[in-house]
Amino acid sequence: MGDLFQFSSSASLGKLTGRRAHNLEELLQIIKTCPDSSIFYHTFSTFRKMREVQVPFNNDFAIWISQNLAEEALPEKLTAIELAEHSTILSLRERIAAVIESHRQENPLVFTRTAAKPFYLCDTVRIVYLTDKFAYNLRSFRESLNSISVDSIYFHFIESRLQTQLQTDDFSRWIEQSLDMPDLAAKIRNIDIHIYTLEGLRRKLTALIDQYL
Amino acid sequence: MTLPGLFDYREVVGRDVVEELTMLASYVGNRSIKMVNSTAVGGGVAEMLHRVVPLLNELGVQTNWEVIKGEAEFFDITKSFHNALQGKEETFEKQTFETYLHYNELNNGQMSFDEDLIVIHDPQPAALIHWHQNRKHKWVWRCHIDLSHPNQQLWQFLQAYINQYDAAIFSSPLFSPELAIPQYQFYPTIDPLADKNKELDPEYIEAVLKEYEIPKDKPLVTQISRYDPWKDPVGVIEAFKMARKYVDCRLLLVGDKAADDPEAERILQIVREAAGNDPDIHIIYLTKSIPSEINAFQRASDIVLQKSLREGFALTVAEALWKRRPVIGSAVGGIPAQIIHGYTGVLVHSVEGASLQIRSLLNQREFAAKLGENGRQRVRDEFLITQNLKRYLLLLLAIERPNESTIFLD
Repeated sequence: MGDLFQFSSSASLGKLTGRRAHNLEELLQIIKTCPDSSIFYHTFSTFRKMREVQVPFNNDFAIWISQNLAEEALPEKLTAIELAEHSTILSLRERIAAVIESHRQENPLVFTRTAAKPFYLCDTVRIVYLTDKFAYNLRSFRESLNSISVDSIYFHFIESRLQTQLQTDDFSRWIEQSLDMPDLAAKIRNIDIHIYTLEGLRRKLTALIDQYL
Repeated sequence: MTLPGLFDYREVVGRDVVEELTMLASYVGNRSIKMVNSTAVGGGVAEMLHRVVPLLNELGVQTNWEVIKGEAEFFDITKSFHNALQGKEETFEKQTFETYLHYNELNNGQMSFDEDLIVIHDPQPAALIHWHQNRKHKWVWRCHIDLSHPNQQLWQFLQAYINQYDAAIFSSPLFSPELAIPQYQFYPTIDPLADKNKELDPEYIEAVLKEYEIPKDKPLVTQISRYDPWKDPVGVIEAFKMARKYVDCRLLLVGDKAADDPEAERILQIVREAAGNDPDIHIIYLTKSIPSEINAFQRASDIVLQKSLREGFALTVAEALWKRRPVIGSAVGGIPAQIIHGYTGVLVHSVEGASLQIRSLLNQREFAAKLGENGRQRVRDEFLITQNLKRYLLLLLAIERPNESTIFLD
């Protein structure tokens, strides 16, 4: 038997900052200077919700640019930034800023446009907590998967990288290290998060695990 | 009638959502809340508190609700405050502010504030904080109104009190002013088990349509809003008439008149004139709306419109989205927070835009159904009462650690 896996979850409480951007130059300044928690709110928190309603953009910056600046290429580039590849907010912030700055070189005119509606910078308090769900082998893990919240799935699959600073999800890491099942771990690690809603991800994980039970 | 308990929400919002609330409540422990507002019945705030207070108690968070008292002169003043804070031009006498403070002081003397978190709703009781300078508990001001363009004289007066709070809560970044204290965002929410939103028998929906003589022979396009120029009912009729040249449908306008609005009858007359004798336009005027009938109208609709020119948060949009209706909404007020254009509904900026979208959605039923499905998910994620409960639980945990952006509980 491997180490116990206790499921965690996280919840966020949105905050308002009063800061606004009316054009891309102002947005860039905000991205460079805002707190880490604001970057988290507009990327990780947004990704959690937008993907459930089939919105192709995974962050608020891309949504705002697309809907208010009549600009499509930059939102696509920002959406192509894989959140799961960033285990620190610092690296994510730098990547976002670099993409916008690079776009300025190619399309300086976009930076002269004033948005129809301002971008409102928000912030968040994130609360991470342990749930009362445990797994001690693959079967109990599979059973718990059915009862944990989608927020818990999201936390372990995407968000916890900010704690572990590893470029992998908690599930595959535990299955590999504690259950010694590298094949299953690899399959879980390779799931393309963009294809599934969180309920879809739950079903996909369950189906993969069932092959090994 | 027995109000639904937490258990009843499991089937509607998901078992995991209710379990998560229970889990968070266990971390909240024995912390307590007092809610204070100015009315026990009528209005959205009282309606919300009637549901949130018992549910928080059921979660184990001891929550009390007290209503401040006052004579007519006090409520006349607070009503004028309400309008002025939303932008109405008015000049206030010093005596008006003194009377407002007098009633707040009287109420303060009659109330106790021993709970861990005191939530003061809206401007009426906002000055209560003045008598609690050396408090040990946390005080939060929950503002439900749009403060983006407040009357400056009044705002200068009130701001001195608001800045004494530990934090403020606003419904949207659009509605919040600059303040020296932290601001949290609580979206307004709907109750999926309320008469206005719960599932209905198809027979009941048919009976309501029959009662109001609305044939179900053509697609139904509906706007449910009071007859008020800001809701643009005439623009809705114009958009409908333009669209009907290309797609056969009926228009249903349902609304009551704006409370205390002497113009309401005149506006209704203008709406009737705009409709003319068109047999496909149904104008229903309710002196008092029945929530289950509103629910039936929404569920019977093929498209729900909210073509407002100016809006608060417009929870009618969330109500329709929750019922999986494709919604065409104006890009004003809180509507863009609910409708992500092309994904959870469509946003429009003109009569012509509304007309085109009516044609488009009635001819693309699969796309319209997808918008409705995504819209329901959007409401599930942000605009249900269970989210409101969650935000209060998180607030109880977060407000004690105002300088931490990530809090680990174990």
